[in-house]
Amino acid sequence: MANDTLEQLAEQTTAGAESDSRLPVGLTLLAASVAVLVVLPLLWLLDRASMVGVQRALTLLTSTDNLGVLVNSVGLVAAVTLGGVLLGVPLAVLTVQTDLPFRRFWTIASALPLVVPSYIGAFSYVSAFGPRGELADLLAPLGVDRIPSIYGFHGAALVLVLYTYPYVFLTTRAALLSFDATLVEAARTLNHSRWQAFRRITLPQITPGITAGALLVALYTLSDFGTPAIMQFEVFTQQIYVNYRAFGGRDLAALFSLQLVAVTLVILAVESRIGASQRGAYVSRGARRPGEIELGRWKGPALLFAATVTVFCLVVPLAVLLLWLTWENPGYASGALAFSWEYGWNSVLVSAAAAIVCILGALPVAYLSARSESWLATIIDRATYVGYAAPGVVVGFSLLYFGVTYAPILYQTTLILVFAYVVRFLPQALGTARSSLLQVDPKLVEAARTLGHRPTTAFRKVVLPLIMPGVAAGAALVFLTTMKELPATLMLRPTGFDTFVTYIWRVRGSGHYGRAAFPALVLVVISGLSMLVILARERYDVG
Amino acid sequence: MSERSGFGRRRFLGTTGAALLGGVAGCSNLPGTGSDTGGEFTWDTATFRGSGPIVSGRPAPGGTSIRDLPALEGALTLYLGGGEGGLYVDLLNILRKIYPDLTLNVRTDSSSSHAQTIVQEFEAQSTKADVFLSIDAGSLGYVADNGAARNLSSDVRSMVARDHFKTNNWVGVEGRARTIPFNTNSIAASDLPQDVMSIPDQPSLASTMGWAPTYGAFQAFITAMRITAGEDATRQWLSDMLDAGVSRYPDEFLVSNAVADGEVAAGFANHYYALRVQNARPDAPIDLAFTSNDAGALVNVSGAEVIKGTKNPDLAENFVRHLLSSEAQEFFATRTFGYPMVSDVAPVGGLPTIDELDPPEFDLTKLANVSPTLDLMRDVGVL
Repeated sequence: MANDTLEQLAEQTTAGAESDSRLPVGLTLLAASVAVLVVLPLLWLLDRASMVGVQRALTLLTSTDNLGVLVNSVGLVAAVTLGGVLLGVPLAVLTVQTDLPFRRFWTIASALPLVVPSYIGAFSYVSAFGPRGELADLLAPLGVDRIPSIYGFHGAALVLVLYTYPYVFLTTRAALLSFDATLVEAARTLNHSRWQAFRRITLPQITPGITAGALLVALYTLSDFGTPAIMQFEVFTQQIYVNYRAFGGRDLAALFSLQLVAVTLVILAVESRIGASQRGAYVSRGARRPGEIELGRWKGPALLFAATVTVFCLVVPLAVLLLWLTWENPGYASGALAFSWEYGWNSVLVSAAAAIVCILGALPVAYLSARSESWLATIIDRATYVGYAAPGVVVGFSLLYFGVTYAPILYQTTLILVFAYVVRFLPQALGTARSSLLQVDPKLVEAARTLGHRPTTAFRKVVLPLIMPGVAAGAALVFLTTMKELPATLMLRPTGFDTFVTYIWRVRGSGHYGRAAFPALVLVVISGLSMLVILARERYDVG
Repeated sequence: MSERSGFGRRRFLGTTGAALLGGVAGCSNLPGTGSDTGGEFTWDTATFRGSGPIVSGRPAPGGTSIRDLPALEGALTLYLGGGEGGLYVDLLNILRKIYPDLTLNVRTDSSSSHAQTIVQEFEAQSTKADVFLSIDAGSLGYVADNGAARNLSSDVRSMVARDHFKTNNWVGVEGRARTIPFNTNSIAASDLPQDVMSIPDQPSLASTMGWAPTYGAFQAFITAMRITAGEDATRQWLSDMLDAGVSRYPDEFLVSNAVADGEVAAGFANHYYALRVQNARPDAPIDLAFTSNDAGALVNVSGAEVIKGTKNPDLAENFVRHLLSSEAQEFFATRTFGYPMVSDVAPVGGLPTIDELDPPEFDLTKLANVSPTLDLMRDVGVL
């Protein structure tokens, strides 16, 4: 989710290009079948939910149980979004507009928490601040025999804020960088104080940027499975998984899935509305950089603030992971928990497969949508974004039902697992492929055609080499995101098939944290690489 | 009874911790005494047995040896329910080494999840599992009640000593007792009643107990209570527990951990979770109490059944017989601290024998009927 939403954000900034109105039949059919395929899981979900029966569905939906989960989910989204704004906006202002010392360092450090998958953050927070964690051990000699529990709402909210606020930070930063500083100077000459100028001039200008980031945070929070599961907080994703596994809970899991998709769609609708009205509002137009605000005596508190955030986001989890590395693996933990390189190989295998299939699926859709503005092309294009509306645990639930009921031959195979990844991450490949295609001048293709090349040859000889870097970046993104994917992998993997992620999950469940250190660090590095891909593509100014 | 067995358990817990620490090297380098350097894997009882003071000096297990059973050959898919700790997987790894021609595909998940999946697969005629090995008899019963389990031959069923722990469709392979783990620093064994139904009324336990209501073993316990004590009494018990204040955990290992940490003074958990805590932290102040002749003293079993639609029923059944072999029973007794199902294999150390435990007369298959239990628990607001 993290990368796809960022990708989606980046993509909104891409300008339109020329198009022609004729739809090539073969291409359209190809693109349409991709769209139909990725929409199917939502239909299977409806199919499964329809088995519940109206009477029982109404009873379940209106139970205190269900309402509690709904309230928890919405509450967590609201709290994390607010928290993300409260951390992200001040950090963005500090790093863009003030004379904060080591600004470049704080800019990078403030964006970096995106590289820690939130479930690994949650995992390390439980280890550090749990009832018998490192902090408890540290405080025990001081006579503190009990620390507040990390589990529940506040634990989930804390971890999610720490690992999602960078979305707000990055979007707000972009807005601040693009905004015309002469306006503030004008306000100042009109006798406005710094604060008045900020409130009346700067804030309205950067609000769309903040909103965009906040919506990304909301979407991420809603779809995240690992953090609430680890923090034992009962939200939709966590409850879908729990009920799927408990006796008599699968009906409820189906209803939870539908509700989760519905709430996600609401947020997506809000986002697309704001995105449409404010498109480009927070994109750099080569505006003049504002003059620096001198922090003066606020320099100390400002530094402390930035440092505290960095310590909690990066230093704590990394220290915990490194500490785990030094733990001796308890021998009694048995062979089932032994680490095997095969898990890494499995991760690479399914991720590479997902990347290749995503690219193959994305190319026709992207080509169609870049070259045509017809309603059909638009529908096909929109349909392939279903991955944004369907969190991993929902796709997992839907495909399990589909596999058992309709496709025993695919059930519990890597094929269905890779398909789940494609549904989830196709939008990432699509985003990069389309923005690359939009940059290709159609006249080049026309030139190739006049030189006697057939359309397919022209595409292969002219277009493909030009879009290759973008396509490769998309493939890399899908690959790296798939490596980190937790819930669908957990639910859909074939018998006996473990990846880095499922191994970490298994080790966590049994309490043998030490064994998770190495694969967790590998995943952090992998996430770091996916950040690099995004940054390299978007050439974010971290100056 | 509780006084006597309380003492026995305390002794048992203490020595087990030491024993397991002593046995670390042996376990991590499976198989302990076996060797596969020269191609042929050689093994004996000690390969299966845990090591340490309480295990050493045990008589050789009786019953049917693996050497007297037909060899396991071919591919077998095993759905393993609830074997989170991986101890079952160790047994499977030994079998893999003994039988190089055996391919075991193991899928782990919660028992309840597997049971529903097996029935779902059976109904869609896409059976994947040959054998279901579950830590929860309720899950075995659920599969059997839905017609997805084959009848077992008398060869298999006759290996299990007591009628309590077998049906036409499934056999128990090891037993587990419901217990009250308690923190010895927080409360005394005498604070705990012999009668599970009176626990919510104990002032010393108010606001200081832990449970795991979403956990299969706990739901089985409530099912037993519902059937033995009646629906109204159970509803009252659940809501009294809620009123008294009870902390919620996702599973019973964490309940036992919380007891050892003093987060709660006592809890509801299967007996071996406390032993696992002790195993990891020998000094943890945790002990076990048993109630008598009620749902709180229920002995559930891990068991196995062969799934309808298997392409290899003979191999599947032979595999189940291996789980009841002397060696496998010795493994369960000495490594997972379970109660052997074969009468010629004794439980370890100071563990009260299954005869001493005083469990209720109860058809374990009835544990499959969890739906009313869940409705009840939802009604009260526990789930």
